[in-house]
Amino acid sequence: MKKFDTSVTKVDNEEKMAGLAIFTGDIRMDNAYFAINVRSEKAHAKLKGIEVPKLPKNYYFISAKDIVKENVVNIIASDWPVFADKKVNYIGETIGLIIGPDKEKCIDLSKQVKGIYEDLEPVFDMRNSYVHKEFTKGDVSLFKDAAKVFSEEFTTGYQEQIYLEPQAMLMYLENDQIVVKASMQCPFYIHKAICRTLGVTEDKVRVIQPAVGGAFGGKEHYPSLMAAQLATAIVKIKKPIKMFFDRREDITYTTKRHPSKTEISAYMDKKDNIIGVKIHVGIDGGAYIGCSMVVLSRALIAATNTYTFPNVAISGDAYCTNKVPSAAFRGFGSPQSIFAMELFINHLADYLKVDRMALRMKYLVKTNDVTSTSGIFRDPIILEPLIEKAMEMSDYKRKVKLYSKPGSLRGIGLSMFLHGCGFTGSGESDLIKAKLRIKKDKNGIVTFYTSQVDFGQGNRTTLKRIVVDTLGIPEDHVIYGAPDTNETLSTGPTAASRTIIIVGGLAAKAAQHLKAIWKDGEEQEIVEPYVGPSYIKWDEATMQGDAYPGYAWGVNVVEVSVNPITYEATVEGCWSTYDVGHAIDERILLGQADGGLAQALGWAYLEKEVAEDGMFKQKALADYAIPTSMDLPPMETEIIDNPFKYGAFGAKGAGELTFVGGAPAFALALEQAIKHKVHNIPATPEYIMELMNHED
Amino acid sequence: MINHFVPKTLKEALDILSEHDCYIFAGGTDLMVQKHKSSGLLPAFDKDILYVMNLKELDYIKVDSQNNLHIGGISRFCELINSPLVPDIFKTVFLEIASPNIRNTATLVGNIANASPAGDSIVPLNLFNASVVLQSKRGTRTVLVQDFIQGVKKIDREKDELITEVIVPPADLKFYYKKVGSRKAETITKVSLMGGYKVEGGKVKDLRICFGSISTKVVKNHWIEEKYTGISTNELRARIDDIINEYDHEIRPITDQRSTKEYRTVVAKNLLRDFLRQVK
Amino acid sequence: MKISFTINNNKVTLDVDPSMRLLDVIRNELHLTGTKEGCGEGECGACTVLVKGEPVNSCLTPIINVADRDVMTIEGLRETKEYRIIADAFADRGGSQCGFCTPGMILVTYALLKKNPHPSEEEIRFALSGNLCRCTGYQAIIDAVKVASEKGIKL
Repeated sequence: MKKFDTSVTKVDNEEKMAGLAIFTGDIRMDNAYFAINVRSEKAHAKLKGIEVPKLPKNYYFISAKDIVKENVVNIIASDWPVFADKKVNYIGETIGLIIGPDKEKCIDLSKQVKGIYEDLEPVFDMRNSYVHKEFTKGDVSLFKDAAKVFSEEFTTGYQEQIYLEPQAMLMYLENDQIVVKASMQCPFYIHKAICRTLGVTEDKVRVIQPAVGGAFGGKEHYPSLMAAQLATAIVKIKKPIKMFFDRREDITYTTKRHPSKTEISAYMDKKDNIIGVKIHVGIDGGAYIGCSMVVLSRALIAATNTYTFPNVAISGDAYCTNKVPSAAFRGFGSPQSIFAMELFINHLADYLKVDRMALRMKYLVKTNDVTSTSGIFRDPIILEPLIEKAMEMSDYKRKVKLYSKPGSLRGIGLSMFLHGCGFTGSGESDLIKAKLRIKKDKNGIVTFYTSQVDFGQGNRTTLKRIVVDTLGIPEDHVIYGAPDTNETLSTGPTAASRTIIIVGGLAAKAAQHLKAIWKDGEEQEIVEPYVGPSYIKWDEATMQGDAYPGYAWGVNVVEVSVNPITYEATVEGCWSTYDVGHAIDERILLGQADGGLAQALGWAYLEKEVAEDGMFKQKALADYAIPTSMDLPPMETEIIDNPFKYGAFGAKGAGELTFVGGAPAFALALEQAIKHKVHNIPATPEYIMELMNHED
Repeated sequence: MINHFVPKTLKEALDILSEHDCYIFAGGTDLMVQKHKSSGLLPAFDKDILYVMNLKELDYIKVDSQNNLHIGGISRFCELINSPLVPDIFKTVFLEIASPNIRNTATLVGNIANASPAGDSIVPLNLFNASVVLQSKRGTRTVLVQDFIQGVKKIDREKDELITEVIVPPADLKFYYKKVGSRKAETITKVSLMGGYKVEGGKVKDLRICFGSISTKVVKNHWIEEKYTGISTNELRARIDDIINEYDHEIRPITDQRSTKEYRTVVAKNLLRDFLRQVK
Repeated sequence: MKISFTINNNKVTLDVDPSMRLLDVIRNELHLTGTKEGCGEGECGACTVLVKGEPVNSCLTPIINVADRDVMTIEGLRETKEYRIIADAFADRGGSQCGFCTPGMILVTYALLKKNPHPSEEEIRFALSGNLCRCTGYQAIIDAVKVASEKGIKL
């Protein structure tokens, strides 16, 4: 086993192992009322009224009519209402809350609340676009002169986050403030959502982060909805309220990864050189846009993956369907489009009758190449060593030849991929505007504050370490706790793989400045604002320019065997190489590598979530199968150092990168095992059977 | 208000059952899911409950002089897996049921009484022609598991009866078993097949085939099994397609949240073919 | 109904409904919150406790079924020297990320090593197969069990 010389003990290890960490559900507040959602039974209908039973004393029904200021959840598009009003747009949309002291009574009352509906025609498929984006690179008029055109379509399914701790929120009043403790990713998103729906100033709301049992994007936006609902209730009821989801409610009604459909065409000249590619990515956004336009952006920007084509036409749509809104999930759109491109370029090689790897290497992106959005890949790209190393670790070259034999029932697949770190374009400097507060007391004890939530990634450890090492003072002289909006300035959401590259960089800079002005025995405080690299120029309207401040890179190799009797796939081996700049803490990084890949493999072949008439069929963990310890092989990962000049200690982002390549590597391995092309995931045994029993 | 009965003796339990219509609560791993309401709330039981896990009289695994295995009514899967008296093929099946934690709680009798089409333990019990023993104040009767389970959640049990024992006759057979779920552990069966056979002097002396999860109950067709018993193994292998076709009208799976009718049908037949090819 | 049992070596007697989930008794009556609820349906293993040394899902166990029996939660295990070895191994390998599955994983590890002090990788994966983790991909947890095993918990 590897020795982790670069790693330090995680600050939250002991409390978590000993069961001492306090998650939201562990906070004791015996007088809190329970909030139970009353949900729409209709996918699309006019809500003509709500029949509420006579409520006993201390029981309340809170709905759109109780909205204080704005019936809007502050999620990017601002189109999702706190409570459905006059219309419902998906099964499960909240039409109101029953709140009271006894949970069982609340549940019984909630079943007696009846919405009065007038049915409208629901739409479940991707036909009504509510966000469209497009951009080109080079001269796409050349496509019409192509000697050959090759086109394919790929689909990916829903994925549910299955953070082990379901959604949970506790809200109470204290010192003239609304206080929220919840399982969350973004304290300031919740903070803003409450301020907006109530129309109150920032000082009236306080968000405190307890321990968080996993998130993966699923707690980026959904808690804002819960918070806006509870805030509406608490100003009326003036009692502590808790809203805890059971697992079934969480699986059935909270946001998931967008299903996608990607169409790609490649245009070739007479010598089979690729003139360019045309890509359309469609994502199923569900009933409300929420953050879907940003997910779509990332999907589109990443759609050419690790390849440089001279001319590119990229477009995409987010579609409105009468289903639970889709939202953030590790990767944020790019896993969908990269899955499509990775398979497409291999299939294209077959079509052109050239070696798959040779074609990929021919178009492999290189340092200073122009990106799909006509920006520049400025930092050194070390994809070739990453690929070489991954091949060596996995014995790829020998195996790929061996398994190509008919009837091998075994295959090996290699994916390469990138992930843009931080918010798209100039989002960091224009929208997020992170500010980090760091202070020192007379005894030289340094405290710093960020709004970054540690839901398992280890950023409490890593951010602290950045400050400790920069200041060069003992570890116990630096205090870094969980976010509390009364103390913390917003350093932005815990999302977009931005924590280390952006906030880590900011923390290092703040610590450097403090060090520079350090005076023993004095109280000192600095507020360090984020300043982006000056070269970043981005035009959101035209999607032109440098989309991200930096890119992280990776290669996954997956080996698969298939049982010809049951069509079950088994993952036999996984090997990965990554360029995350510099890995500050290798143990933490490998945790991301293993966990991201495991989750990606789940998406690739195990996790099936299907909506039928607007309702998910898989509602329980018994039916939605995430990988168990028996489903995954040992994983081997190597990090190749390539320090990034703008990140703290050379670090780039890593949290999402490790998710991106698993599905295409799996699918490529599966193709080789069954000698049929794969276009859709999850590649369940049912789908594999279809492929094996039909001609291509 | 419902009554909770916690008898200490079998007699006490049967007395209670003679007067009250009760849920029989053993390990509870099915009932607690079915009656689960919400975190922090009591399960939603709508009639009296008789808890049997304290009936020490039913806590045994033993073999009689005819080599019949007797499994007491509160024996848990973990105990059966660790018992030297239980045939290996049962252990193979049990080790793939649910998860280690559940196997430490759940009982064999509970799995039978739950009468789920996806109940894995019922498959080998059918194959072995095992029986359940039901006791009431009125007396004792023994019913083949195959007959005891009448359909989805339907069992041949009177309200005053308690399943006190499972009897598994010996079977000198070679076995084949494959469970297909959605993942490699902790998974509900999409389709399963257990085969058993005995070959003597090149002839098939005994042939047994049980399908799980492809119909409302375990499929075991005595008529088909008999038809192909007594022939040579060569002939059996030559007639694999015929045998598979014989099961056409028996394999009636459904499409649900876990799999499709088509998949279950094809895989059930593939498994049968795979089994029959091994009969040598 | 008055029900007595032993929790973490302390005998307690509670007047509760016999069908109450052991999980709710532990968390809501005894206020021992190290035992987590991840699904309430016996699928995730976050609510694992040891009953007579065997790991069970406390969400599926009615309190009556532990009457007069020994129950151990992470709060009890963490007082033992075996816990220290296991916890150090988890820390060494990075076996805990978000921490929600961790108490359950540690209890299962303890039960496994007590029965089988030197399990193979396959035996470890099998023993953990009812405890879901969404953060680690299991590798770090499995390595942690190996390290704890090598440290030789003489159980």
